Parts: sequence; C-alpha cells; structure tokens
Amino acid sequence: MTGLADPAGPLPGAAGRPTAPSAARGLRRRWAIEDHPRIVAFATTPLGRAALLAAFALVLIGSRGTYRAAPLWPMVLVGFAAICAYRPRYRGPALLAATTAVTLEQVWFRREGLALVMRQEALDAALPEGLVIHTALLALFVGSAWMLAWVRRHPASFLARRPVLALLALEAVLCAAAAAPLLDGGARVAAWAALTVFTAYLWFLAYAIVDQRSRDPASTTFVLGTFHPFWGSSTTPLGKGAAFLRRVQARTPDELAVTQIKGLKLLVWSVVLTVAYRGGSWLIEQRLGVPRLEAVQLTFARGAPWPAPIAWASLVSAVAAAALTLAIWGHQAVAIARLAGFRLPRNTWRPLESRTLAEFWNRYYFYFKELLVEFFFVPTFLRAFKSHPRLRMFFATFMAAGLGNAVYHFVRDIDVIATHGLQAALQSYMSYLFYCVVLATGIGLSQARATAGRPRPAGAWGAVRGFATVWSFVVCLHVFGNENREFPLGQRLRFMASLFGVG
Amino acid sequence: MDPLHRNRLRDLVTELLAKAGDPDPPRDRDSLFISGRLDSLAMVNLVMHLESSFGIDFGRLGFDLDRLDSLHEIESMIDDHRARP
Repeated sequence: MTGLADPAGPLPGAAGRPTAPSAARGLRRRWAIEDHPRIVAFATTPLGRAALLAAFALVLIGSRGTYRAAPLWPMVLVGFAAICAYRPRYRGPALLAATTAVTLEQVWFRREGLALVMRQEALDAALPEGLVIHTALLALFVGSAWMLAWVRRHPASFLARRPVLALLALEAVLCAAAAAPLLDGGARVAAWAALTVFTAYLWFLAYAIVDQRSRDPASTTFVLGTFHPFWGSSTTPLGKGAAFLRRVQARTPDELAVTQIKGLKLLVWSVVLTVAYRGGSWLIEQRLGVPRLEAVQLTFARGAPWPAPIAWASLVSAVAAAALTLAIWGHQAVAIARLAGFRLPRNTWRPLESRTLAEFWNRYYFYFKELLVEFFFVPTFLRAFKSHPRLRMFFATFMAAGLGNAVYHFVRDIDVIATHGLQAALQSYMSYLFYCVVLATGIGLSQARATAGRPRPAGAWGAVRGFATVWSFVVCLHVFGNENREFPLGQRLRFMASLFGVG
Repeated sequence: MDPLHRNRLRDLVTELLAKAGDPDPPRDRDSLFISGRLDSLAMVNLVMHLESSFGIDFGRLGFDLDRLDSLHEIESMIDDHRARP
C-alpha cells in the first residue's frame, strides 16, 4: 500500500513528479545518471557491478554508518546485498543469514529492563546477558516459524484474521507475567527476555501473518529474513513485510542496475545530510551557544527559563535535528536495501515540500505511516461510518495517526510498565497521548479536506503558505512529542505558553 | 463485467491517475498501487466507488491490495463477487 496522500517518492524506475522550481529540476536532471542508457548498461556488466559495489562500500565506510562503527561491517553488508541482488535463487537464505549475522553482531533493540531484572535477581554474574538475549531470539524465530505454519493451516482463526489484536493480547499477557510478583529468579528473567524480544519483533510478526493471506506467500526462510532485515529498521519494519519486498524486487538486469545506482545516490545524499547536520549542530550549539531542548525544558522546570527567542531557537533546531537524523538513518537503510535489489521507496521524501499536514505525515516517516495505515487505517475505513465519506476518512485517519500511534509507542516502551507499574507508565505517557490526539486531529482534518476535493495549495505562494502552516504546527507540537518522560504534560503546556510570552 | 461498468471503472482509474500527475492511460495488467502510480487516497476513492457501484463490502470480504492492483484484478474481483450466491 502506498501513502495516504502522496507516495513517498517514486519507486526506483518509476516516473517522478516534477514539483520543484526549474533550477532544482535542472540539477536533479543532471544528477539522474540512472537515466543514461550507457551508464545503466555498464552497471549490468561484471566490471560495472564490481565498480558499483566498491563505490557503495567506500561511501558506506566514509559515512561511518549510524549503526555500524566497525570498518569491516560495511564490506559485510555490501557482500550480503550483492548475494541478494545477483543470486536470486539464494535470496531467501542470504537474507536470513545476513539478518542473523547483523543481529548477532549487535542487538538492536532496547533491553535496559532485562539488564536491570538480571541485576535484581543476582543473575548478571552467572548468566551473560548476550546468552539470554540470543536464546530468547532463537526461541522467537522458531516460535514465529511455527506460528506462521499454524496460520497457513488455520486461515479463519482469530490470529489470522486479527493479527494485531491477537499479538497485542499476547504482549499484554507477557507483560503481566513479567511484572507478576510471583515470579523470581530464572523464571522472572525468562519472562523479561520473552517480553523484550517479542516487543521488538511484534510489528514484523504482524506483517508476516498478514502476508500469509497472499495467494503465493513467501517461504518461511525469506519471511524470517525480513525480521529486522540487515539493511536496518527500528521496531518499524523498513520495507514492510515479505510480500511487499517480493513485489518490489528488481526483475531484470536493467531494473536492478537502476535500483542499485539509485541506492548509491541515496547513500551519497545521506552523507551530504550528515555533513549538514554536523555543521548545523556545530554552528548552533557551539558558535551560537543555543542550548539543547532538554536543557531548556529542564531549566524552565527549575524556574529559571531561558529567554523566549533562545527557547524558540532551541525548539526549531531540535525539530531540524530530529528530521535530519531520521532522514539520514532511513536513507542509509533504504540505500542498502536497493543495493540488494529491492526497489524500496524512501523513508523520508522531501518533507519541506509538504503543503498539507496529510502530505507531511506521508513524507516524513513513510514506513511508520504505512504500518499505521495497514493495521489501523484500512480496518477502520472498511468498517466504520461507511455512509458518511468525510467522517469516515477523518475517523479512520484519527484511528491511525492517533490511536495507532499511541498504541505503537506505548507498546514499544512496555518495559516502563514492568519497572514502574501501569499507573506511573500511563501518567508519564500523558504528554505523548496529547501529542497523538492533536496530531491525529490535524492530519484527519487535512485528509478529510482532501477527500472533499479541496485542492492542494498551488504556486509559489501556496508553497510558502503550506510550508509555514505545516512546519509551524510540527514545531509547536514537538514540545509534546519528544519522548523524554521526565516532563509532565502540565509543565510542557506551561513551557509552550511561555514561548508565546504567556505565564 | 458488462462494457458500461468496465468503461466507468477505466474512466475512474484514468481520472485518478491524471489527478496524480500520470497522463498515461492504464493498460489491463498495469500495476496501479504497488508500482506507486496511485496512492492510498486514490485507493480510498476506488474502494468507495466499488462499494457504491458494485455493492462490494470489503469489511466482510477482507481487504487485499493485490486484488485492486490492476484493472484486470479489479474486474476479476468484481466477477468473483457477483458469482457468489
């Protein structure tokens, strides 16, 4: 499924949409080297492939990838990507081997809760944490393979028809078990390990179960290879599930070459953004002395607020830093996936060009939005308010951007419940809940207006107005959306008011 | 599917493509959504059209984007839906 309002950039090989001014279009045309048949033809030859892989590895090493510091890893990633791209027969096993290798090399998900429990149970000296995590991961992968086979045999079961509800129920049971006072020692550590890995892979499993409905579902090997694939992801799967990845595989040598060239270009662009990010951080924090937003909020909480212009500068730079960090991370992951032959759309696609909130939502974090559309928007849209088109669209959007968003983040941080209790977890979540409600209302109204046929702001003035409206909203909402749980909602509201000189 | 409904469906898809800045008329087996030619808003419009014109209830039928991804697939889905008792 593509975006709610506008696809996150054309798929590699698909026609683009010229929306930028002519100078930028000219630059983009010159940069579109994949449009030159001779370059594409060269990239299909053994020498061209070797050159492309070498260039990719060099840029990846030079970029000091955000998630792999060791110099050997870029070479390993490129090697795995090459096998996936050039040996389609072995794509499934190669994908699983690569994903396993990367997961073993560096556990990617948060596990502070498990480490704490191991210390509390005095098992941290006797049991290496890595052994516990990897045993739990092995159990999860074996259990997932069994679950998928069961779903194929029982397509009418509740798990097959309502995978998200079933998985969230299982998550709740695991959380209750982990937090139960009856458990202690090894049993408590085991419950925590199960909760930790299940939480990390919940949405990968949800996609895998949904994918079993396909007429020709992928092999279990391929599906498990997409569980936090080697190109990277968060708890949001970048590249969605196996069914989507199979649909966007490059089919011909030319298509593969174009996809890989676009991957290399995206990686280079991520380096440019990294340089911009580091330069901007140096300028703003060190030269201009603008403090970080957390520090500004902390001093405000202590009753010694910074002047409003400094606080605004800090807030705007925090939003810019968040957007750049997300774009750099997503571009690197999608670039590696493209090198492996998957024609993935970008995760972040020109968010500054958004002219409506719905468009921004689609351009900013595409795969998170896709997750919410797939598991919250579509089921709601197909069932609720079917005779009221605008209300139907608003409500479905609200369920995705509001409820889905809130559920996703609450579950992602499930260890807070087990360590601090349900009440404390809910209290510290109020600010993010407020953020979700306001965001969902804004996007829902924007989407409902688009459904009613209201045109997208056009022309230079439309671009300026759209930019100002969308980014003002995003900047102001960031006060409530940054995920630091130390600042309660009331304090954030007062901080927001102080930015406008109130209070 | 009768020619009148087929033409209306084709006109709708052509119009959705045009709104998305894609002037090429769709061929029967062209991928519409997975290729990125149409977005979710277009999908929503298409779903509403299929519900109102053909009485398809996706809530009961189950939603499968594969079955909406080309004119050929959509026509097959409508024919299957009509063939059901």
